[in-house]
Amino acid sequence: MAQEESMLPDDEDDKRLMTLVAAGDDDALRLLVHRHHARLVGYLRGEVGSQATAEELAMEVFIRLHRAAGRWRPEAKLSTYIIHIARNLVLNEWRRRGRKPTTALEFAADPGDQSQASARRVTELDEAFQRAIAQLPPEQRTAILLVVQQELPYEDIAQIMEVPVSSVKTWIHRARARLRELLKDFYGPA
Amino acid sequence: MDKANRPSFERDLAASLSRSREVAVMGFADRVITAVRADRRRRNVVRWSSFVTAAAACVATILLVQSPSEETLNRQTIALVAREESAHLADLLGIVDDLSLLAPVAEKSSIVDVLATPGS
Repeated sequence: MAQEESMLPDDEDDKRLMTLVAAGDDDALRLLVHRHHARLVGYLRGEVGSQATAEELAMEVFIRLHRAAGRWRPEAKLSTYIIHIARNLVLNEWRRRGRKPTTALEFAADPGDQSQASARRVTELDEAFQRAIAQLPPEQRTAILLVVQQELPYEDIAQIMEVPVSSVKTWIHRARARLRELLKDFYGPA
Repeated sequence: MDKANRPSFERDLAASLSRSREVAVMGFADRVITAVRADRRRRNVVRWSSFVTAAAACVATILLVQSPSEETLNRQTIALVAREESAHLADLLGIVDDLSLLAPVAEKSSIVDVLATPGS
């Protein structure tokens, strides 16, 4: 049933699939995982700095999503709900480990067909950004990742972080200022 | 601000983060399904074991409520012993009664009187 080609937009189709997941349809869950996992792992890797931990946490997110399927009410987009679960897991992970994300980030740049020098610069810049982001306070890091990396609107970020939109805006502003400061070797003083 | 005219910091930040926006993992959906099935089994076991534990607790409570207290047991034992003793006594008394049946009906004095009577 879940395998049928759906002509619905993703949000509507997500709701349909969640209903099927609640009824125990594993194929529906497989489709949801297929649709959402890449962005989820991308976000989590930005948060924790490790591919293995990001995958572990993403797995846990989907297990929790499956458990909550029966209780889920489509008040927000499923993608927002998924990131909300992920954010809570990240907070738990930091509490459990008693530390912030690693600054020794794993990195795998995909320079595409750029020239070698250009690819080197991209890699160098990406690593610098990753290191700088890892040094941000948790709220600022989450906010900047969600707005710049995941391109989410402020309202969705506020919902995910359970704070007012004004707090999100403040954190993003501070994160940009802090990143500029940390990357002054590349861009000069702010 | 127009995208092309954005300061390079903003442009580079967006470009750098967008490169890591999506990290597709091969076979991830299969791993999730396996983990979800294992989780479902585990939760079923937990649900059943808690049901069995609760049922066992109920049975134990019923047995405790229904079983007599120590005082009742003592009372019952005393009653039993008393009943046994009285039965024993009754048996003994019964023997005495039976023995009384064997006792001579005629009294000695009346026999002597008959023998002593001349012409009897």
